Order: sequence, then C-alpha cells, then structure tokens
Amino acid sequence: MSNFLNHDYGSEEEDDDFNPAPVDDSDAEDSKVSDRRPSPEAASDDMKYNRGSAQDDDDAKNDDEEEEEEEEEDNENEDDEDEDEEEEDDEQAVERPRKRRRGGVHSFFEEEAGVDEEEDEAEDEEDELAEFGTEMHPDDLDALPAGAETDDRRHRQLDRQRELDATMDAEKQAQMLKERYGRNRAAAADALVVPKRLLLPSVNDPSIWGCRCKPGKEREVVYSIQKRMEERPANSRNPIRLISAFERGNIMQGWFYCEARRQSDVTDALEGIAFYYPSQKMTLVPVKEMPDLLRVSKSEELMPGGWVRIKRGPYQGDLAQIEEVETNGLMVTVRLVPRLDYGMNDDSAAVPAADSKRKRTAASKNKPPQRLFSEAEAKKKHSKFLSAASGLGGKSWNYLNETYVDGFLIKDMRVQHLITKDVDPRLEEVTMFARGGEDGVANLDLASLAETLKNSTAEDSYQPGDPVEVYRGEQQGLVGRTVSTRRDIVSLQVTEGELAGQTIDAPVRTLRKRFREGDHVKVIHGSRFLNELGMVVQVKDDTVTILSDMSMQEITVFSKDLRLSAETAQDGQVGIHDVHDLVQLDAATVACVIKVDRESLRVLDQNGSVRDVLPSQIANQIPSRRDAVATDRNGAEIRNGDTVREVLGEQRNGKILHIYRSFLFLHNKAQTENAGISVVRTTNVVTVSARGGRVGGPDLTKMNPALVRQYPMGGPGSMQPPQRGGRDRLPGQTVSVRSGRYKGLVGIVRSADSDSAQVELYSINKPVHLPRDILVPKEYSDLAPLFSVLFILMHSLVRFQNGHWTLEADPLLAFRLILALGPRAAVPGKVAVLPWPWQIHPELLRGAVHPHERLLVANLDAPSAAPAWQGMIGARTPAWKNESGRTPNPAYAEGNRTAYGNLGGRTPAWHSGNRTPRDPSAGHDAFASGSRTPAWNAPGSRTPAWSGGMTHHRDQRDFDDAPTPGGNYSAPTPDGFGAPTPGASAPTPSGWADSAPTPGGAYSAPTPGAIPKRGGYDAPTPAAYDAPTPAMGVPATPGAGYGDDDGGPRYDDGTPSP
Amino acid sequence: MFFLKEETKIITMHPSYFGPNMREFLIARLNEEEEGRCTGDHFVICVMDMVDVGEGRVVPSNGCAEYTIKYRAIIWKPFRGETVDAIVTSVKPTGIFTLAGPLSVFIARKNIPSDIKWEPNTVPPQYTDHADQVIEKGTSLRLKILGVKPDVAAINAIGTIKEDYLGPL
Repeated sequence: MSNFLNHDYGSEEEDDDFNPAPVDDSDAEDSKVSDRRPSPEAASDDMKYNRGSAQDDDDAKNDDEEEEEEEEEDNENEDDEDEDEEEEDDEQAVERPRKRRRGGVHSFFEEEAGVDEEEDEAEDEEDELAEFGTEMHPDDLDALPAGAETDDRRHRQLDRQRELDATMDAEKQAQMLKERYGRNRAAAADALVVPKRLLLPSVNDPSIWGCRCKPGKEREVVYSIQKRMEERPANSRNPIRLISAFERGNIMQGWFYCEARRQSDVTDALEGIAFYYPSQKMTLVPVKEMPDLLRVSKSEELMPGGWVRIKRGPYQGDLAQIEEVETNGLMVTVRLVPRLDYGMNDDSAAVPAADSKRKRTAASKNKPPQRLFSEAEAKKKHSKFLSAASGLGGKSWNYLNETYVDGFLIKDMRVQHLITKDVDPRLEEVTMFARGGEDGVANLDLASLAETLKNSTAEDSYQPGDPVEVYRGEQQGLVGRTVSTRRDIVSLQVTEGELAGQTIDAPVRTLRKRFREGDHVKVIHGSRFLNELGMVVQVKDDTVTILSDMSMQEITVFSKDLRLSAETAQDGQVGIHDVHDLVQLDAATVACVIKVDRESLRVLDQNGSVRDVLPSQIANQIPSRRDAVATDRNGAEIRNGDTVREVLGEQRNGKILHIYRSFLFLHNKAQTENAGISVVRTTNVVTVSARGGRVGGPDLTKMNPALVRQYPMGGPGSMQPPQRGGRDRLPGQTVSVRSGRYKGLVGIVRSADSDSAQVELYSINKPVHLPRDILVPKEYSDLAPLFSVLFILMHSLVRFQNGHWTLEADPLLAFRLILALGPRAAVPGKVAVLPWPWQIHPELLRGAVHPHERLLVANLDAPSAAPAWQGMIGARTPAWKNESGRTPNPAYAEGNRTAYGNLGGRTPAWHSGNRTPRDPSAGHDAFASGSRTPAWNAPGSRTPAWSGGMTHHRDQRDFDDAPTPGGNYSAPTPDGFGAPTPGASAPTPSGWADSAPTPGGAYSAPTPGAIPKRGGYDAPTPAAYDAPTPAMGVPATPGAGYGDDDGGPRYDDGTPSP
Repeated sequence: MFFLKEETKIITMHPSYFGPNMREFLIARLNEEEEGRCTGDHFVICVMDMVDVGEGRVVPSNGCAEYTIKYRAIIWKPFRGETVDAIVTSVKPTGIFTLAGPLSVFIARKNIPSDIKWEPNTVPPQYTDHADQVIEKGTSLRLKILGVKPDVAAINAIGTIKEDYLGPL
C-alpha cells in the first residue's frame, strides 16, 4: 500500500500546475515528466486491459486466471524489491525514445492521442512538421499572425507532397499505401496479440478504491461523478483527478469504484456527491482483484435463427425462432407456429378482435393445436379480418392484426417476454419450423439448433461410460468414454488413437455422444420418444436415427438424448404399466398395452379394438401366468410362448403373449400396427410351433421308453412299484394256510405286519404266528352260507342221467345261484344258454357236498369269473403263483392245477388245491402223477412242453394244422381258444370215445364245458356232444370247464398214454 | 462366424433311464436340448461329440442323477460387420425382415439403397429399383449385419444392403 503512495509522490507537484504542460520544463524536469508520462501509458494499458477483459469470454476464464496468477507473482516480486527509483529509471529508459521523438511540448496533445502507440509514417511526418512549431509556446502559436512564414512553409510543403503524390502512378501509390498501411495493420494486429497478462494491472497502475453509496443509486453516483468531471476538466482550476469511476450494478450493490492515483483524489472528487456515504471508509481494491472487478459476464446474445420460448400470452411455452433482433436489443422479431382456430370455436356473434381479452383467456384455456396458417381456413369465417399483404418473397397475410408469412406467425416481441435460457428445443418442435414439410430434418439449420442445444446441455446428459467424441477445438477427433463430469467439464478417457488410455478434460460444448450403427440405445430425454429403445440405424453429425424395437419405426433424435442401453427387454415403461402387459379394464374386459405415453396408455382389448385409456381407468394388472394353458382348434395344448397361426380371417400369426380365457394375445414382430399385438380366439388358431419343442400332450420323451411300453398308462406314476395302497387289508380276513405245519387250516387274521401275521385258526383255538406269504385270503367266505345252502338244495335235485349227473333246480334257486355267481363270473351269457333242467357236473357236486371244503366250492365262481385270467394262467404260471390280494383264487387255481392233473380222477379242483389229489382214483394215474406238476408247468411256459408231449398224437397234428395253435392256445382269452377248437373238437370225440369208459364220460363233459364259453362252439358240434352237457358243465362247474381249457391238451397228452 | 466350441452341460436323468442304454439316452437328451438352442449370444448349430461324460451323481431326495457332460458343438455367433446371406421373410414399408439361418435380421428403410423403393401396389408388395432388383418375400439377399442385440433366448439383428455387392442375389 505504502508503495503505491510512495510511488505516487512525484506527481503531486505536477498536479498543481493544471495548465498545459510548459514545454520549457521538459528538459529540466525530466523526472517529473517521466512521472507524468506513465499515467497516459497506464491509462491506455488499462483501457486495453479493460477491452481485453471485456472480450474475455468464459472459455478463456481458466487461462486468464492462470495468467493473472503469473502476473501477480511478478507484481509481488516487484513489490518485494520495492525500488521505486529503479523502476522509475526503467520507465524512463522505456519512455525516453518516445519522449524524444514527440517532444515534451505536446504531452498534452499526446495524452489525448496517446492511444495510438504506433504511428504511421505520415503521422510521423506530421509530427516532424509539428515539431517545427514546438519551439514556440502553444499560446504563442495561437498568437501568431496569419500568414506567418512557418505556415507558408508548411503549405508549400503540403503542396509539394501532393504534387509528388499526383506524379506517382497509381500502381506505385497503391504499392506504397499497401506497404504503409499493410504493415501497420500487421503491426496493429501484433499489438492485439500482446499477451493478456501484460495488460493486467500492476502496482504501477492507478489504484481502485471501492466506496459506499446508497444501494441502488450506484449508477446515479457514477453519473454525477461524470458530470462533475465534465464541469471540472483536467485543465481547469480544480480538476477532478479521477481516472475512472464505475459501478457493478446488482453484483455489488451499494458500492462504486473510483480509479485514481491517490486516495485524496478520490475524496476530493466525491465531496458532496449525492448518495455517496463519505462516512464509510473506502477500501483499496488489491491489484489482484482488479481484473475480477471489471469482469463482464457476457449477456445472452440473441442471434437470428436462434430459439426462444414465449413467456406469456396464447403462445406461452411455444418455441419460437428469432427472425430478427432490433439493434437496441430490446425488441425481437420471432417466428411462431400459429395456434389459430379461425373463429371456429367462437360464438358466431362475437367479434374476435373486439373482445380480445376474453378471447385470450379462452385461448389460454384451450389452446388450438399448432398448425401453419392456412388462408383457406381463415377465409371461411374470418375473411373480413384477412388481408393479403404484398410480401417481397413469399406470400404474406395479415389476419387479425398479425402477420403471417409462409404459414408462420411473425411477431415482434420484447425480450422480456421471451425465455432465452434453457430453451431446449425438441426435435419435433423444431421440425415444425422446417420449411420443407415432412422430411424436415434435412432443411433444418441443425447447426444453430445444435448450438442452442449445446448451450442448454444439461449436466446429466453425460454420464460416466458414455462414448463421446470431441468434435471441435484443439482436441477434435478424440474418441473416448466419459469418466466424470463437473458442471460443464467432462473428463474422458481416450480410447482410440495415440492418446489412448489418457484422461483428458473437455468442455461439454465440444463434445457429442458417439454412437455406431447397430448400437442399442435408449432415448433418455428431450423428446416424445422418451424411453424408446432401439438400434442405431444411421448417424449423421448430431442426429441419430434409431429403429425402435417396439414399433419398428425409424426415429430421429439428437445424440445427446440417447444413451447406450444394456436393457434387453422391450420396454417403453412409464409408471407401472409396461408395453405388452395385460390389464383389466373392467370386469369383462381385458386389454394388452400396446403403447405407453406419458399420461395415457393405448391398449388393445379382447375384442380387438384399440383405445386410449388413462392409468386410472385400469382396474388392475393381470400378472402373467406362466402355466396358463389353452387348446387350439385341433385340441392341441397351447401355452404362452407358443407360436400359433390364425386359421380364418387375416391368418395372423405370432407368439402367444397372454392367454386370457378363450382369447390369445399374440405378438408378431413383423407387424407394425398395435406394436405387433393382435388378439385372436383360441378356437381360431392352430399351433405352428410350441415353445421348447413340445408337440402337445405330455412329454413322453422324458420317460424311459421301455418303461412307457411296459406301463401303457404312461406318466411318472407308472414308474413306481405297484402300491398296495392304504391300510393293510389282511387283518380280519379269513385265510387258509398254504404250507407248513398248519397247512390247509383256515383262520382269521388278528393282526399283521409286513411279513408275518397272527392268525386265529378255526380248528386250533389259538393264535399262531405265520409268515404272511403262506396265508391265502379267502375273500368270498361271506358267501359261504349261501353256497352251502344252495348246494345242499342242488344236491337234493341232482340225479344221474345219461351218464351225467344232472341237477334240476327250482328256477328261483337257480336264479339265486346265478345272482351269487353272476356278477363275478360274467356268467350271464352262459346262463342264458343253460337249458332246463340244468345239468351239473358231478365233480362239482362232489365238491359241493364235501363236508369240509365248502368254502372252496364257493370259490368255484372265481374261475368262471375270470376266464380271461384262466387263459392267462395257462400262459403264465408265475402270475398265477402270485398271492397278491387281487387274485382271489390262487387256492382255487391250485385246485385247478391238480384237478387237471387228475382229470380222469374227477378230483374237484379244490382237492388238488389242497394237495390231496385223488390221482389214484383213475387209470390215468400214471399220467396224472407223471404229469401233474410238470404238465402244469409246461403250459406255464406257454405250453411248449404240452405240445411236445403231444407230438406223436394225431390230435396234436390237428392242432398243429390249425392256423395258430400255439398262439391260440396261449391266447389269454377263451375266445381265441374257441376259434381253433372246432378243428380240435372234431377229433376229440373219438379220442374220448377211447377213454370214454373210465373218466372219458366225465371228462368229455368238461371239454365241451370249455367250449360252451363260446356259444359258437356249441353250434358246430352239438352232435358230438350231448347237447345239455356242455352247457351245464360250464356255468355250474366253471372250474371244470376251466380245467378243460387248460387241461384239454393235457388230457390229450394223457390220451395217448393209456 | 462359426466356431467349434467346447461346452459343459449338466443333464439330469430320471432313474428310469438308468441302465445299459444310459449313454444313448444322454446323447439323445443332449442333442435334443442343445441343438438349435440360442443362448442370446450364439446359436448352437450341431453337437459334434461328447468329450467327457462325467460320472453321474444321484441328487438326494428325488433319485435323479446329474451328469456333467462336456461336449463340442458347432456354434454360430453373428458379428457386427459380418456379411451373410438371408431370405426375406416379409417386406414392410418400414423395412425388410429377413432370416439368416436362425437369426432374424431387419433391414431398415434407411439401410436400403435409395434407388430401391417401396412398391406397395404390387402383389406381393416389394422393394424394387424398377430394374433387375426386386426384393419380395422369399428373395435371397446378401446383407451386412450392422448390429446385434442379444436377448434372453433370441438374437435380433439389423442389417444393411446399402453397400457395394449387397442386395438381392
């Protein structure tokens, strides 16, 4: 501080003589002059500096600051040294040549003209000329009489000069001029390029004092200072020694600034200024802060072609393009897309112009859409308000006191009524201004648009990871990815080129996002295509054309509005509802969302109609059911994700998105309307392909094919071993013991576990533990009483007839018998053929009357009950051996087995069943004993043994002759057996005839018994048989009949042996 | 581009398959599940062979066995910039839908040469330059893949025919 004061000492004396600097002093008071001289120099410097700072724009800010710092460092160094004399000497050294050149006399003159440091030669000459006069005092000069010799000389010199000029040819002159001015211009240009830091104020420059005044009156204060300076100019008696005064308006309210060499100058100058607060101490602005004080924030500059928005009025919020800016900067002519209704919505009585106020309110309430002006429409109702104006270029109309050119409204507006910041024009708005119409993008001044957009680029438009490109500035062409953003500076990591890997900073203005064709992007803001996803199709400077995933339509947006998208889903999600969602509109209507706008949804309902709904109109969203299933026209199963085709109608096809009752919502990418969604009925589609290759029906491939064959029922259930299911049924059942110590005894199971049971035997009144597998349940024991009675009755009616035992029974009893047997035996068919009187096989009777085995007799129904099963028994012995609960008749079967063995012996089945065969009873002994088990076993293995046994027999040949003897024989159904039998049956009688004497008769009876199962058999060979016998044999003694089935062959076997 | 890729897959077998033909079942299952599959990144064209069938591990609680199978498969991964031949599946005013093998490629209007114009009045509708180039359903095209968008179980691509040597064959 003191430095400055010290520094300024010298000028004090000088200040006193305000008169034009005396020329005479110049030599003597060199130092004084030198002191004085820097001031204009400094002033000019200041001016330059100011100019420079005014030119500063924001991008240079950083540079400036750096430079300032450097400068300040310099200054401080100087301050430290603080050698005023030296500095002065330096300055003298600097200034001396000029002083010499110009002469001290005209310092005053110079002060005014001092701006021009570089004077051209002509001026130099003039200077030289002027120096002639410098010898005299200026006042004296004035006093010189006209026509003085000096004047004359100068005139002549001028004349000579002119003559010389005239004699020079034009070319030379031009050359000379060019040389002269061209160089000078270059010099001037050089001067402009003087580094800015050299223009910054230093300690040698005048200081700036900040003074207080009434807030809001800063400018007035400055004006009054200005006025005072005019009143008291520098050469006046009491000059104002302020160099400048300024204020910073709203930024520094209550402050204004004075530039002066000394504080006392300021106080002098400000004395008595209105609104100035002299009581408050003025502050010296540090040199460092001076540039900041004068920094000018660039005001928003409106340029024709730029974009603004309207603040108020019917066009509030509308985008406008600046046509023209008045020179005063206050009025702007803008171009707007009109919103006119041409009186269509007005009362016909009302005159729009008359009550403009009312109209405005109406308009603001319900703005007509933006449309270009159409004179045809205007003429309809408002032709009286319409007048054509003769435009220079296009047609121009005057309508309701507004001018319309080329369909646009041209309007003068005050700048205050415009929004100039953050205009952020959207592309679709801008396209309306394109004069080209449809494909407006090409005609747009994209550069200016992009410029506007750049200025309003939001900070969030660049997010870390965005691929960007520097497209102007020093680093033009750099490609990288953003790392971070701070305000309008973006750090990016260079990914390509020599600088790859480095991180550099770049201002947002120089950047644009970079997309490649094929990138999958999302529109993030600034457009009605917000949230649209798509793939980049074309990139042209700042505009990117993308192909929407959803609508398959091309969209052109600015690259700044896009982001790379990793989302794979097709979405356009806004809020809770997403495109392709199924929503419930009302109880009976569902719909699929096909478009999501900002506020409304467009849906396709189940009836195929498209409508716009508000989210509030949607009752709820129906969650997608994965397992929803329906059947198509052919009854095939269809599920979500299957591809189906419509059979009738438009033959639409698509992938099933939703199944709702009988409606399918299909999606087809190739369909543009309705976002690819269509609705069809399930009955109207056929499956084209099922998702995951499902062909319909259960997926059999999942199953082991071998097992599938074995369990034709299919399904995984068949994998499981057959389940006994539920509780153990054994306890409480009547069982007989099959082997062991208690073999043949009957009892009731008291309790059972998995492998043993406690049986209370009837005969031995005590419970015994027996292994389960030797217990044979007797399921029909409950019928025992009935049968005992029945058979007793039968017995009473039995008589021997024609070598057969014949039973004659009361029909009622017979019926009861049938009732008892029928349901199980499927006998009705047989019963039907029973002749009256019934004949019953004596074996049966024997069995029946057997006192002790009644139960078994009762079981006789079983064989006839399951003839099929019987057949199988022949075929499959193992099955027979099962004691599963389902085969109620193993015991019986056992009986059968032995019975067969004992064919001749008339042993009832049960006899053999209990292993009490009566084999010895017949002459077939040998056969029976020999063949008993093996013979049985042989048929068990599908009768090879049997046929082997028969080989030598004639009958066998007959059998062999039969088309498929083996097959028939082993065929499970008696029917099958019945078929070949006729052939067999023919010989049989004869065979039997042989054996007739002994068991033959008895035996022959069963044979037909087997046959009668098929009535068909009876028919062909009635003669051979006793008509009644066969029939009788079967129903009553199914066992016998049955036994014959299997036994027949065995019998044949047997026949040869005797 | 086609690759021979070694991949690993875990196959779960139901116990009912346990038996001598197990390997055949595994192969059948592998082929059935893998061939033609789209991972979102590539298509499995063909299973070449099984490199290694790991030993099966019975999964507790349900008796199924898991086999970790290493196999080699021919896969096709479409790349940006790859030139492929495709068949036009449908022609729309917005562009051309094509199928390049399993991959559906869309050619936007912008990527169709400007001299090939949309001609909706013909039957079927077509893109044509009114000379020898006609693009309609069924036409074979040579196109360049511009971009590939992987999806969960599908790949969508866009292509261009707006370059030399591209277009109808």
